[in-house]
Amino acid sequence: MALDTVPQPELGQIDRMGGADLVVGLLDAEHKGDAGAACGMVHEAIGQLSTAVRAVVVSNNSTGNPAPTGQPAADDSQSSSVLYYSLPEPKAAGTPFERLMDAYQVVFAVGGRLGARACCVIRSEPRTLTPQWICRLVQPVLEMGFDLVAPRYTRLKMEGLLNRSILSPLSRALYGERMQNPMGPDFGLSGKLLDRILGENALKRQGFPIHPVASMVSTTVAGGLQICESSLGTRVQPPTNWADVSSLLAQVLGPVFLDVESNAPSWQRIRGSRPVPGFGALEPASAEGGGVDVSRMLESFQLGTQTLQDVWGLVLPPGTIIELRKLSRLPAEQFRMADDLWASIVYDFVLGHRLRTISRDHLLRSMTPIYLGWIASYAIELETAGPQDVEIRLEQLSAAYEDRKPYLLSRWRWPDRFNP
Amino acid sequence: MWEQIGQALNQSMVRVLSQLASLLPGILALILALLVSAVVAGVLAAVLRRSLMSVEFDRRLPRWGFPTLAEWSPSKSPTLLVTRAIALIVMLIGFLVGVSAFDVALTSQLVMRLFEYLPNVLAAVVVLVAGTIIARFLARSVLIGAVNMNLQYAPLLSAGVKWLVMVLAVAMALEHLAIGGGIIRMAFAILFGGIVLALALAVGLGSKELVSRSLEREASRTAAHGSREPVSHL
Repeated sequence: MALDTVPQPELGQIDRMGGADLVVGLLDAEHKGDAGAACGMVHEAIGQLSTAVRAVVVSNNSTGNPAPTGQPAADDSQSSSVLYYSLPEPKAAGTPFERLMDAYQVVFAVGGRLGARACCVIRSEPRTLTPQWICRLVQPVLEMGFDLVAPRYTRLKMEGLLNRSILSPLSRALYGERMQNPMGPDFGLSGKLLDRILGENALKRQGFPIHPVASMVSTTVAGGLQICESSLGTRVQPPTNWADVSSLLAQVLGPVFLDVESNAPSWQRIRGSRPVPGFGALEPASAEGGGVDVSRMLESFQLGTQTLQDVWGLVLPPGTIIELRKLSRLPAEQFRMADDLWASIVYDFVLGHRLRTISRDHLLRSMTPIYLGWIASYAIELETAGPQDVEIRLEQLSAAYEDRKPYLLSRWRWPDRFNP
Repeated sequence: MWEQIGQALNQSMVRVLSQLASLLPGILALILALLVSAVVAGVLAAVLRRSLMSVEFDRRLPRWGFPTLAEWSPSKSPTLLVTRAIALIVMLIGFLVGVSAFDVALTSQLVMRLFEYLPNVLAAVVVLVAGTIIARFLARSVLIGAVNMNLQYAPLLSAGVKWLVMVLAVAMALEHLAIGGGIIRMAFAILFGGIVLALALAVGLGSKELVSRSLEREASRTAAHGSREPVSHL
């Protein structure tokens, strides 16, 4: 259990809190959150609920804590109350991403320990966070009986590209739920889902490494629990580090592909997809002007097709390699990566990850030039497109993933069968 | 006088024949050992071939990281290579057993020396196999990393790393086999040092401007990406 990492005195403080209806985890990536402001925000958010709730705020802000750890920070005349708990200093070992995942685990474990009816985790930058966000993630759980509330953000055309190109359509094709952000990172969860996640953690700890965010949707679907989406508005993200896209792919896709492997019996039975209920009005995305410089992405793709063929040849069938080679010879204005080709490539990498054809880290990092190729193709194709056109285009991509699912099923069941 | 010559010839013939007769059991034992080892090698090779074919060894081997083994194999079949190698080893052991049956001090000593040398051969093989695996892994890491950094000379870097590790592994294997001794060590030091010096000189003098231009271009492009494009991945 994740609480193993929490020191004994702090564990005692959690126990002394008694119990809670709601646990809110505020996981600021840079640990700069303000405890007083956090408590105030949560207090305002739970004030919008129809019933009074006892909330515990768990933050990974280990410094500058104005509220004493585990003590009431605010209490109103009614029965709604907010307690604050600061997570212990993260371990020095591991990447920031791994430390963040550990923080998710601890928040879930605290929720389980306190017997919370709902849990909400906010990972987005605090400057975009409003009480409305917390309320929209928690309300469907506490008042409408949903088990997982996923976020829906207002995004510009070139935002959330990994989500748009792989995470969302893959999750939709596998688990049959149409969600914009299956990996959050902001979520609302029911106590039932929390227990299930904690139970799975205990079971799987021996075999697969646990990644709470990657397995959120699969756990919910496997348990027959209810999913919905809440519109949260615009999410501010730090600037893209282009020098480290391969690390991002390895960190994000590794757990996702592992989750696909561990849930194979579940997703093999699912056919088609359905939209999930949505709450809150989505702010319209602004039609941003100006194109994107794709020259570097195209260069990277061309270099990859020239030099990584031996590596890709271990994962991709010969037909796909030929298609990629043809694509690399096209001029920029004609450069288009077909949806079914892209979906097949992603499925082939999922399978390669499962079969451990090459080192998993090598496999995921070698996908970078193809991913950049997809981004270039997407940017060129939608250069002048408005928000509506973008949504239509993404719907086509998701449909291609669903259409190619039989290909994944066939290769998953008979990986050694000849595949031209 | 003729009688004495005939007697001497008779005696030498008897000596040669008796020596030959004393060698006969050894020769027969050698032939028998060779025959038995040939039969054992044949049976073992057949069983092994069948087992390897049933697990589709030829097709799986490239996936396990040894794609070039097929090129070195007879008829491009690693199964054939493995079965023939095993058969040869069994035959060699049979030959050594047969030779030791001569009961001659020299052959026994030879056999003993060969058996004493076997651990060195095994260690050298292990070093070579480990070196090959490490070289391939590092070469692939460098290749993927360099391509992701958009370096046009990525294959060159990868090949350089691969051959450096391979040269190191071969030098270590030769050291285990006690072949070459100091010469190998010296040659390796000269070769390794020479490569590093050549690279340092190439970067430091010859390609100074090229490298700095390349690095500047990459840095400015990375910065430009971060600032100009409203792109995010998650």
